[in-house]
Amino acid sequence: MSSNNGNKIKARLTDPPETVRVRVKRRERPDAPQYVETFEIPYRRNLNVISVLMEIRKNPVKADGTETTPPVWDMNCLEQVCGICTMVINGRVRQSCSALIDDILLEAGGNEVVLEPMTKFPNVRDLKVDRSPMFDHLKKVHAWVELDGYHDLGPGPHTPQETQQERYAYSRCMTCGCCLEACPQYHDDNYIGPQAIAQVRLFNMHPTGKMNRDERLDAMMDDDGIANCGNSQNCVQVCPMNIPLTRAIYETNREVTVHGLFGWLRK
Amino acid sequence: MPEHDSFEHDVIVIGAGGAGLRAAIEASAQGVSVGLICKSLLGKAHTVMAEGGMAAAIANVDERDNWKVHFSDTMRGGQYVNNWKMAELHAKEAPDRVRELEAWGAVFDRTPDGKILQRNFGGHKYPRLAHVGDRTGLEMIRTLQDHGIHQGIEVHMEVTVVALLKDGDRVAGALAYEREKGRFRVFKAKAVVLATGGVGRAFKISSNSWEYTGDGHSLAYHAGAELQDMEFVQFHPTGMVFPPSVRGILVTEGVRGEGGILKNNRGERFMFDDIPDLYKDQTADNPEEGWRYTQGDKSARRPPELLTRDHVARCIVREIREGRGSPNGGVFLDIAWIKEKRGDAEAHIKKKLPSMYHQFKQLADIDITKEPMEVGPTTHYMMGGIRVDAETQMSTIPGLFAAGECAVGLHGANRLGGNSLSDLLVFGKRAGEFAAKFAAENGGVTIDNAQVDDETKKALAPFEASRTENPYEIQADLQEMMQDKVGIVRKEEEMLEAVAEIGELWKRTANAKAPGNVEYNPGWHTALDLENLLTVSEAIARSAIERRESRGAQFREDYPEKKPELAKFNVVVKKAEDGSMEVSRATIPEIAPELSEIIKEMG
Repeated sequence: MSSNNGNKIKARLTDPPETVRVRVKRRERPDAPQYVETFEIPYRRNLNVISVLMEIRKNPVKADGTETTPPVWDMNCLEQVCGICTMVINGRVRQSCSALIDDILLEAGGNEVVLEPMTKFPNVRDLKVDRSPMFDHLKKVHAWVELDGYHDLGPGPHTPQETQQERYAYSRCMTCGCCLEACPQYHDDNYIGPQAIAQVRLFNMHPTGKMNRDERLDAMMDDDGIANCGNSQNCVQVCPMNIPLTRAIYETNREVTVHGLFGWLRK
Repeated sequence: MPEHDSFEHDVIVIGAGGAGLRAAIEASAQGVSVGLICKSLLGKAHTVMAEGGMAAAIANVDERDNWKVHFSDTMRGGQYVNNWKMAELHAKEAPDRVRELEAWGAVFDRTPDGKILQRNFGGHKYPRLAHVGDRTGLEMIRTLQDHGIHQGIEVHMEVTVVALLKDGDRVAGALAYEREKGRFRVFKAKAVVLATGGVGRAFKISSNSWEYTGDGHSLAYHAGAELQDMEFVQFHPTGMVFPPSVRGILVTEGVRGEGGILKNNRGERFMFDDIPDLYKDQTADNPEEGWRYTQGDKSARRPPELLTRDHVARCIVREIREGRGSPNGGVFLDIAWIKEKRGDAEAHIKKKLPSMYHQFKQLADIDITKEPMEVGPTTHYMMGGIRVDAETQMSTIPGLFAAGECAVGLHGANRLGGNSLSDLLVFGKRAGEFAAKFAAENGGVTIDNAQVDDETKKALAPFEASRTENPYEIQADLQEMMQDKVGIVRKEEEMLEAVAEIGELWKRTANAKAPGNVEYNPGWHTALDLENLLTVSEAIARSAIERRESRGAQFREDYPEKKPELAKFNVVVKKAEDGSMEVSRATIPEIAPELSEIIKEMG
């Protein structure tokens, strides 16, 4: 379970509706058109989006009484640590396992919940998207420590807790994609986005990872690099793990500037 | 017959959690070609949910710790039916695996002088768990994933394996389908590593991820491998019971450690009603003393809520069965009550149990500083699994390896907290290493096309028009039945009923219908999962019947005592010639004298 996701403790829904109307954006296959289906299920306290979807899946009948196929979505841990169930809920990108219906209805008023797939990734079917671009980003920025592991590693370097804390902030990334969905600059290969930049920061702080610092910073200077950040700061608002993404961008940017300057002097 | 896409690797690894990733990294480093197959996406495996840490005797916090102590703790925890060779290797190699993970970029909490910090955990004599906050599993997965992505391992994401392929006695690869388009894939491989994790989704209430359907156990079994210790399923006493979608999610022991108490629907603190004789001297006999213990008073004895996991779980079941449960079928776990004792209760709870506070707030809209939680036992870990050689992790089928939760041996009748993450690394590495070696030393394999056709036909059977059953309903019925009849408290007659009901569920599964087409169709996936779930459920029930005693995680109401003569063997199941499940006993080899000495020495 992650930290608080900025979720405030909210008042309970005092006058709950009898039913929850769930509008699900669907698509049969990647090249098929999207359409919306509406379901209606009885309201109960403590419902969350996944429990609503599971109820629909068991009995896939639309609000108008016609049968349909069960909606498709991804889920795994159900405790907001794997990030796979991320979707856009009433316009806001977040994990569906930790999205409580009461909170959503309190925010929105009425009894409607709208579920849509993330838009920045290829839509595979219904609420499911292809998240592999995030791994391509990690490969591009060399987000690993170059080590074969075949020598005596010994006890490892002493690291103060403060340094550990700084790295810990970035190591919490669960590649859920929220920051990329919310980023206005992340589209059409225009910008690599905050997810990879935070990992550049993480690996550039690692005692051995530093060795490949230049390679990471070079990647940051590409056409889709860090300069494309528009400073909207949406990423840090939506990150469910509270990763200081804007700090990562700021600090990496500073590193890139220095790196660029010295690179130019070397020429 | 649909067309197949063909792939060829020296080694394929099935499952991409801690053990699978570690095995793939290792095999790849040995220079063979590796394919990594995962049912879900890379980095989303159940390992991410691990919280506590990984046990390794690196002695950073207490210098008295060493591999011998760790070894003997593991054996005691497992009630001495462990594979002692695996327990030895694990205790000796875990420190290297932890250091290696750190070198690869994992972040660990630090001691004041900057070394890896280690924490206390049940059953470990000294502070031994390397950890980062309460999300060590995510750190491990992120590190292994980041380390693995550039090694040239070919990752096949969202691909489900439906059968292992054989070439004579030897494994020759696997038949799978990719979930998106529903196309079948034939993987030809000289060696196969199974690292598919556990079986928690055979039970109604489980702390396991949705992927935990016993796939590896079942694949190995149907390919002719032996499964062992399947009766040993670990139930954690406190999981969430409401709302339904979060049922089973773990509520850490730390809540009780901070003074949380268990109550039934009459407001009675029922844990005082049944304190085993063995623990009477160490357990408080009044609430006041128990409270003082939780606040650090060393002269006080521990409250009965902190008795061993198996006992607490059984007491909770008793309350529920006798009609004293909470509205949603659990009991109450109350930490809010400490406001009677401390003025700063609310702030204190938030500080000491931050993730629990947020877990209940976010997932159930319950403020644990104000209201009690509803909790019940939850299926947590499968000690049983594929029988493997301790050194190489090879199963009884040549070329077929297994590591992590789907393999058996290290944990015996009961796993200690923290020994799972280290298990994944130690034996994941070994499986990868020896699978690569096997692939290098043995010639090619031939795919049996008839087997491929046959298995493909079976996998597509849920689309037959004549079928009528909803697979989700069959799964729900199985989970309900296993929870009731082969759960925490077991009786011969109920388990015999369970075996009979599993027979009925097999028949219904033969009629399970997948609606629609093969393109990303969860109904189809569930219909296929059912065969795995039924196989492991039957193995659990039959093995539990065979072990007529209570030991570790297995509690038999009809045989409540431990029997010394039953400590001498493991229960093994294997698929017989006629397709039925054959149960036998395998004698545990005599422990090496030097290891026996260590156990004696450590007490």
